Amino acid sequence: MPQLDTSTWLTMILSMFLVLFIIFQLKISKHNFYHNPELMTTKTPKQNTPWETKWTKIYLPLSLPL
Amino acid sequence: MNENLFASFITPMMFGLPLVTLIVLFPSLLFPTSNRLINNRLISLQQWMLQLVSKQMMSIHNTKGQTWALMLMSLILFIGSTNLLGLLPHSFTPTTQLSMNLGMAIPLWAGAVITGFRNKTKASLAHFLPQGTPTPLIPMLVIIETISLFIQPVALAVRLTANITAGHLLIHLIGGATLALMSINTTTALITFIILILLTVLEFAVAMIQAYVFTLLVSLYLHDNT
Repeated sequence: MPQLDTSTWLTMILSMFLVLFIIFQLKISKHNFYHNPELMTTKTPKQNTPWETKWTKIYLPLSLPL
Repeated sequence: MNENLFASFITPMMFGLPLVTLIVLFPSLLFPTSNRLINNRLISLQQWMLQLVSKQMMSIHNTKGQTWALMLMSLILFIGSTNLLGLLPHSFTPTTQLSMNLGMAIPLWAGAVITGFRNKTKASLAHFLPQGTPTPLIPMLVIIETISLFIQPVALAVRLTANITAGHLLIHLIGGATLALMSINTTTALITFIILILLTVLEFAVAMIQAYVFTLLVSLYLHDNT
């Protein structure tokens, strides 16, 4: 039976290692499975500042009366 | 006749150059890499199929077992595509080589068992003794369970090799018989041809089933050990 001829075994195993463990896994790892699009809330989120509010009046540009 | 029959299972080498590496590499060409956000039809189809198979197969595992998802998915794709390509006439099927199947089965099985040993030593050793065995039977049963554990990778490899080799041999034999019978008795040749068609359909199924079984068993060994 030609499958039992061990002279070619190293070549077979090495090429299988190459293909299975490296090439196929690189290809499949590049597949992106995205989430379905979900609704986002339209309200703007509250600014979260750890400092005191009266300090940061000039540092919060979005809250300035412009 | 023996010489001719087994000729398709000799590893292809051309003047000492390993042609077999190119043959093993070929199925990976049929799975293009997904580069874009929205891919073409072929890649989207393969991605959908991959997601279906991975959901079906990895849902039984816990978080630790699911880290093997990439390995198992590439395993099932590799074996399935190699087996299906082997059904083309005059092609060489790498999965008929015992060397390759042993090279796939032993590291994967050993990885699963050693993971179980390292992380859940007590539970993995407990597999050797099923619950509720009467005390005098314990030594014999431990021996039997050890043997059954160590035979798992060999069984995985030989199962795949033998199934695919036997299928290919049958197709060769019945095809040869049909050809020989055509000049002798056309009706019998027709019957043999129908048998050949049925066999080919079976081989398509076997090709995919064997891939599935291999991967399923590895996943089972993994489940036992994570």
